[in-house]
Amino acid sequence: MGGRASHPAQWGAVIERSITQVARWVVAALGIATAAFVLLDAEYRHHFLTGSGVAQGALIAAVALGVMLTYRGSGVVNFANGVIAMYVAYVYTVLRRDGDLFLPPLPNPLSVIEGIVHQFQPHDTFHLPDIPTQISFGNGLSFWPALAISLAFCIVLGLVLHFFVFRPLRFAPPIAKVVASVGLFLLLEATVIRRFGTRPIAVKPIPFLKKTTQMNLGFIKLNQEQFFVGMLVIAFAALLWVLFQKTRFGLATRAAAENEKGAVVLGFSPDFLAGTNWVLSTVITGLLGIFVATSLSTIEPTVLPALIVPALTAALVGGFTSFPRTTLAAFVLGMQKPLISYLGVNKTWFPKSGDQAFPGVDRVLPFLVIVLVLYLAGDALPARGSITAGRLPFSPTPPKWALRIGGPVLGLAAAVFGLFIFSPAYRGALSNTLVGVIICLSVVVITGFVGQISLAQMAFAGISAFIVSHLSSEHGWPFPLPIFAGAIVALVIGLLVALPALRVRGVNLAIVTFAFAVAVDDMIFKNNSVNGGFKQALVKAPDWIDPNQPKQRKIFGLIAGDGKLPNPTTAIFCLVVTVVLCYLVANLRRSTTGRQMLAMRANERAAAAAGVNVSATKLLAFAISAFIAGIGGAVIAYRSGNATPDKFDYTQSLVIFAFAYLGGISSVGGAIAGGFLVAGGLVFTFLQQSLGVPPEFTLLLGGLGLVITAIQNPEGIAGRLRTDGLRLKAKFQKPRSPSSAPTTAAPLVDTGSP
Amino acid sequence: MALLETTDMTVTFGGLRAVDSVDFRVEKGQLVGLIGPNGAGKTTFIDGITGFVPTTGNILFDGHEISHEPAHRRARRGLGRTWQSLELFEDLSIEENLQVAAEQQSVGGFLADLVIPQRRRAYANVQFALDVLGINDLAKRMPTEISQGQRKLVSAARALAARPQLVCMDEPAAGLDTKESEDLGLRLGRIIDAGTTIFLVDHDMGLVLSVCDYIYVIEFGAKIAEGTPQQIKSDPRVIEAYLGSAAGSHEAAGPHESAEPEK
Repeated sequence: MGGRASHPAQWGAVIERSITQVARWVVAALGIATAAFVLLDAEYRHHFLTGSGVAQGALIAAVALGVMLTYRGSGVVNFANGVIAMYVAYVYTVLRRDGDLFLPPLPNPLSVIEGIVHQFQPHDTFHLPDIPTQISFGNGLSFWPALAISLAFCIVLGLVLHFFVFRPLRFAPPIAKVVASVGLFLLLEATVIRRFGTRPIAVKPIPFLKKTTQMNLGFIKLNQEQFFVGMLVIAFAALLWVLFQKTRFGLATRAAAENEKGAVVLGFSPDFLAGTNWVLSTVITGLLGIFVATSLSTIEPTVLPALIVPALTAALVGGFTSFPRTTLAAFVLGMQKPLISYLGVNKTWFPKSGDQAFPGVDRVLPFLVIVLVLYLAGDALPARGSITAGRLPFSPTPPKWALRIGGPVLGLAAAVFGLFIFSPAYRGALSNTLVGVIICLSVVVITGFVGQISLAQMAFAGISAFIVSHLSSEHGWPFPLPIFAGAIVALVIGLLVALPALRVRGVNLAIVTFAFAVAVDDMIFKNNSVNGGFKQALVKAPDWIDPNQPKQRKIFGLIAGDGKLPNPTTAIFCLVVTVVLCYLVANLRRSTTGRQMLAMRANERAAAAAGVNVSATKLLAFAISAFIAGIGGAVIAYRSGNATPDKFDYTQSLVIFAFAYLGGISSVGGAIAGGFLVAGGLVFTFLQQSLGVPPEFTLLLGGLGLVITAIQNPEGIAGRLRTDGLRLKAKFQKPRSPSSAPTTAAPLVDTGSP
Repeated sequence: MALLETTDMTVTFGGLRAVDSVDFRVEKGQLVGLIGPNGAGKTTFIDGITGFVPTTGNILFDGHEISHEPAHRRARRGLGRTWQSLELFEDLSIEENLQVAAEQQSVGGFLADLVIPQRRRAYANVQFALDVLGINDLAKRMPTEISQGQRKLVSAARALAARPQLVCMDEPAAGLDTKESEDLGLRLGRIIDAGTTIFLVDHDMGLVLSVCDYIYVIEFGAKIAEGTPQQIKSDPRVIEAYLGSAAGSHEAAGPHESAEPEK
């Protein structure tokens, strides 16, 4: 013993460091080799340097520059920036087409009265005044006025986002900011879909730019529009670089990102800096959105929002600080798309699925780059020094009465209503709610108990659902087995996605999981050999679960079902699984592991000092969460009789995260509340059937609710009920036991939602 | 054999040697103190022993070489610590704070917990820690509801709930007044009586000199003196480090002459 020689086991750390270093070199070398090959080979170069690639790259760069500005100005990673580009492009397109500036739908309190009256009066003759939905400027505007109004709209939008959404969240934990930006994503997308549907709309050309005029720059041919858009982005990147490197404003913003007091010393209020950066961000994003939409000739609500993934990738490559590096990365990510689709069609070595090129390969590249950057560079996103960081919502221990009385009563009520009372629409809604509860539970475990943000829960569910479909219908596995197979595969993939979580946390992890959800969506779920194409991926379910069995059954001597679809016992299957999982998660919270998770969520260092294996506990949480999501996916597959990609696309992952947060992210009660709220669930079915609220409002209300919840009520509905209940209880109990804590945080009393 | 022994332990931050080749021993059942002026590397020394910063050199705990082990494994070996900034789990009740430290989880236990959770596993240890520090009445409260002095006791209780062989206490007296400081000394005595060895880091000379059996003094990361309280009181280098050379002839510092707590 003694001496200077270090212990052999210390070599482990040394080896890990050298592997990381070697991996960095290998990745860099591979990148350079690929780039050299593509640029030197005439065929590859021809399909890499394309006008459409430049336009795509410009759009990605625009979204990425906007993301960087808001991050540096206010510490928000704005997942909604792609949607903002789309929204502004729609504003412009409609101004050019009709001369109308459409407004976001404002809630009209009178519409509820209208809905109730229509209940009793079948002919829709009763109408109350409505809030205007647009401001008309006459017939279709010409280019310049439309552009000016659109940019004015961008400025207003930036100010609104700053003052009403993100400024109130200044001191909130990162998760609340992510939640708000996800809410914004859903809200803006829902607004566009509500107004214009999902079909593409033609965008009028810009008078001084001609699509037909080809320009030959020697190494690349592109049309005037594409050239202009590319130049515009590069000009903006250069301007921003100058602004941030050479001016006091830029210096102050950089200082504020490190330390908010630093900016004050320079004579700028952090608030002013954040607001200005928001406006800059929306203006740049919106302006380029307009030009790129023009060069694409049409606009639709699904393409631009997903561009946030390559944009975040580019921003990560630039370390969220370097405008030139980000712009370059964005162009590469945009220009690889035409190359990869060309290779897919023309090269025999390209991975095939059936006789088609494997889909979504161009979407996987951003995901791989994100994982590599985050894993090799450690925490790529520089942490922002803010004055105080808020805490995550409180996670109460499930009270005894809820476990012994609340759970059984609620379960029994669901069974009775599902079997004997509900009409077909409500029977379907009940199943949707129960499935929603399951997925929300998976969010509760990973985000509520451990504080890690996963935006890929529906991707795990989808993987499991497609496995269930294949095993049950093609391999003839009997009923419960495919569920476990699907859930275990989801668990394994969850663990793989969690590996970066050991080195990255918070917002970075949200980015990884979001990119994963998009990649899985494009590569697997939209792959016809997985989803069955026209034949669909069917699920063979036992009679009592099969939703297409309208049979009536005798249960306890009573007749269940009205001979209409869906099958009343389908909901019972969902109910049984949901109840089991609710109890498992409640028990997890009451167990040693649950306490360890919450300890880790509160303070990783102190948890390690208390003997908690932080890495193992994190992986365990991911495994449990992905497993629960996998079971949820399997239940969805059985209860719908098929697995379709639309149920599991990346938007669904965002939506379920939204509803889980709305319900209350940190308790089983919150998951149940979240389940009631999901699209097609009981609450929206009630709104739709009884109050006449159209179904497109689900997303809209969900997004709006999410933004409001993030700002006003971070504990969610269940948390709110609990604290209100405690306050009431304290009022009544005061005279009896003055020593008992009347504050909101007493741990073992719970009056929250069941 | 010593319970804890470091040989040539060094912690470097870039070019700075925050802990510089320190040799150091703690015998079982002792109360060993470490003092030093602000920025001397006291907290870094604890971080190094308990696995929160990488070190070179050897750390031998209870006969095992632990310098390569992650922090949580050292904790499970019986090497506990408290934090100067307390670092309580703010979302858990005081009782649950202690439970996290007291409980060990096995795979079988985890699966069993999913069916019937054991809410009071290893509760005897929690009760022990609550009793030793005399904070039974706080068990059901939340960390946000209690006073700073009480939070300090909870942080010590949490370290104790794991029934460690050795607990490293980082500036437990910081911010306490004389009476509270004396009271703390009394409770430390109870911890020793219960069979836990204490390694006390503080710059409150009064507390350290009055309760410790053996004392180490560091300055700029390097050890400058060690010995019994009597020896330390009269060591010229300690007096210089604490009071400056001009005051060389004075008695050692009293309890109130300590500087502000490090932040």
